[in-house]
Amino acid sequence: MSEAVIRSMKDLPSTHLLGTGTAMCAGCGGLQAVHEIYDVLGGRTVFVNAAGCMTLLATYPFTPFRGGWLYTSMASAAAGAQGIRDALDVLMAKGRLPIEEDLTAVVLAGDGSSYGMGLSATSAAIERGLDFLYVCYDNEGYGNTGQQASGATPLGARTATTPRGQRLRKKDLFDIWVAHRPAYAATVIGAEPLDLAKKIERARSIRGPRLILALAPCPTGWEFEPEHAVEIGRLAVQTGLFPLKEYVDGKVVHTRIPRPRVPVVDYLAAQGRFRHLFEPVRDDALIGEIQAEVDAYWRAVG
Amino acid sequence: MYRIRFHGRGGQGIKTAAQALGTAFFLEGFEVQDAPRYGAERRGAPIFAYVRAARAPIQERGVIARPDAVLVADETLVPVPAAGVLQGLAERTVLVVASSETGETWRERLALPGPVLALAPDEAGGPLAGMACAGAAARLVGVIGRERLEAAVREEIGKLGAAVLERNLAAALAAYDALAPHAGLVAEGAPVAAAGYRPPEWIELPRDTAHFAAPDIDAPATSVAAKTGAWRTLRPVIDYARCNRCSWVCGTLCPDSAIAVDADRTPRIDYDHCKGCMVCLAVCPPHAIAAEPERARAEAAE
Ligand SMILES: Cc1ncc(C[n+]2csc(CCOP(=O)(O)OP(=O)(O)O)c2C)c(N)n1
Ligand code: SF4
Ligand SMILES: [Mg+2]
Repeated sequence: MSEAVIRSMKDLPSTHLLGTGTAMCAGCGGLQAVHEIYDVLGGRTVFVNAAGCMTLLATYPFTPFRGGWLYTSMASAAAGAQGIRDALDVLMAKGRLPIEEDLTAVVLAGDGSSYGMGLSATSAAIERGLDFLYVCYDNEGYGNTGQQASGATPLGARTATTPRGQRLRKKDLFDIWVAHRPAYAATVIGAEPLDLAKKIERARSIRGPRLILALAPCPTGWEFEPEHAVEIGRLAVQTGLFPLKEYVDGKVVHTRIPRPRVPVVDYLAAQGRFRHLFEPVRDDALIGEIQAEVDAYWRAVG
Repeated sequence: MYRIRFHGRGGQGIKTAAQALGTAFFLEGFEVQDAPRYGAERRGAPIFAYVRAARAPIQERGVIARPDAVLVADETLVPVPAAGVLQGLAERTVLVVASSETGETWRERLALPGPVLALAPDEAGGPLAGMACAGAAARLVGVIGRERLEAAVREEIGKLGAAVLERNLAAALAAYDALAPHAGLVAEGAPVAAAGYRPPEWIELPRDTAHFAAPDIDAPATSVAAKTGAWRTLRPVIDYARCNRCSWVCGTLCPDSAIAVDADRTPRIDYDHCKGCMVCLAVCPPHAIAAEPERARAEAAE
């Protein structure tokens, strides 16, 4: 764990805390974000992992983590974090764990869990002011089971359960959290590691319910060549589709305002899940609708 | 009953190959079961799928332990124990390896008692190897007509568009035609009644308490024991004369924590774990990283 303040690229960790040898796909944008987060957060953590791709990180007797790990059902990671937090507090109160050896409870959950089944337990945990960090890696679908649609699947995206493209709107998990007035919330992406590292440093210094929402370009589910994971991630930011922002001291601040914004077609055309928007006939109406929503978002930001 | 197993890597269409063969059997009037092994459907990771086909209802369930034929779309999997390619091979089992080496070479190398055939890898490479194996299997069983195979491929692939369908049809039919001299080489295995079922020759281990059988793992980052470098088909190689020692780009963005940066800012790739996603190659600002095919390297080393 780096105690130093991260100001520039040169301050980013040069060696890694998260172990190699995990079963994530080659080019997994979720793993990229998790390793960058872990490198800054440090090993004094207990991970509470809702069922999803990332539960394959730890397959007994192998784990990439340097601390504890608990597997929960998709709906109950935040409740699991409450249990870990309570256990640590009880141990410290009884003098069985020195105060300086306290650990941070970290939820690691996919979008299927975070935007859907897990929302109730999470809402209640934020309401109780639980001291935990919630990391959602958002690959915009149920990745582990073959990319079915979730509440995070964006308009137009083809998934196993939306073969002609998602017709519904992606939920806004960041705003759902902000409506609970948590201690901290931020969006990050592995392709922008400095922005990510600064936010993890800030989150680490705060207590209470904290959200890190990481967009996770997924070569398998989004259908692109693994080597393009960073390019796709950067495009998500440059098109304005994925705003980098944080909620701190009661205010939302954008940490990156893409100017000028790259047209959304560049992002869409790079992924197989949007191929039907371009062939056999180009769906200009839907592409225009996606662009208009992004434009409206940034107009409101000002 | 025919029992046929396909092995390959995630991304080679192994699941689809099993589906295509299953559908071809079905169109010939067989009862069919086809299934991929669930849980490891990751690009580059070993995967297998299997097909049972019989003239009578199939009561057998689960993974095929005693195959009549095994088809391998990626020869680099043969020596990987976790892939289980050679599992349950008997004298009457036909092994087919997609390889530029001959079947005889493979038979001697592996000291196998049964027939081994080589399938010259399709010029188009990786993604069609699975479909070529499906075509080969269809010919080897000797009970599937060319037009039935074609209809099955159309049914399974047609939805992916004309261009993809054409390539898959070409791969399946080329393998079907190439194996004409071996039509009928794969014979049906005897039905297995529950009463006469011979369990696999596994080793009985005494039951221990959980404390012994699944002890706590207190060591950090044990995942490094899993050598995911075996997933790689391309190897990223850094030209240190070109590398400008930026200190963070490839090291931070490698999703797998497989690149660490020395104190003098020199990046080092951990080839035991690099999965060959090529993210580093795509992001390196001075283009100091090149991709070398592992197959060519292995051949040069021999
Ligand atoms: C209640 C329940 N339903 C279904 C499953 C099967 N399942 C395991 S992982 C998974 C996908 C989870 O999706 P997400 O949370 O987005 O994580 P990802 O797989 O994308 O990493 C599903 C459906 C489950 N574990 N529990
Ligand atoms: S399916 Fe997507 S999110 Fe899951 S491990 Fe693979 S690349 Fe990562
Ligand atoms: Mg997901």
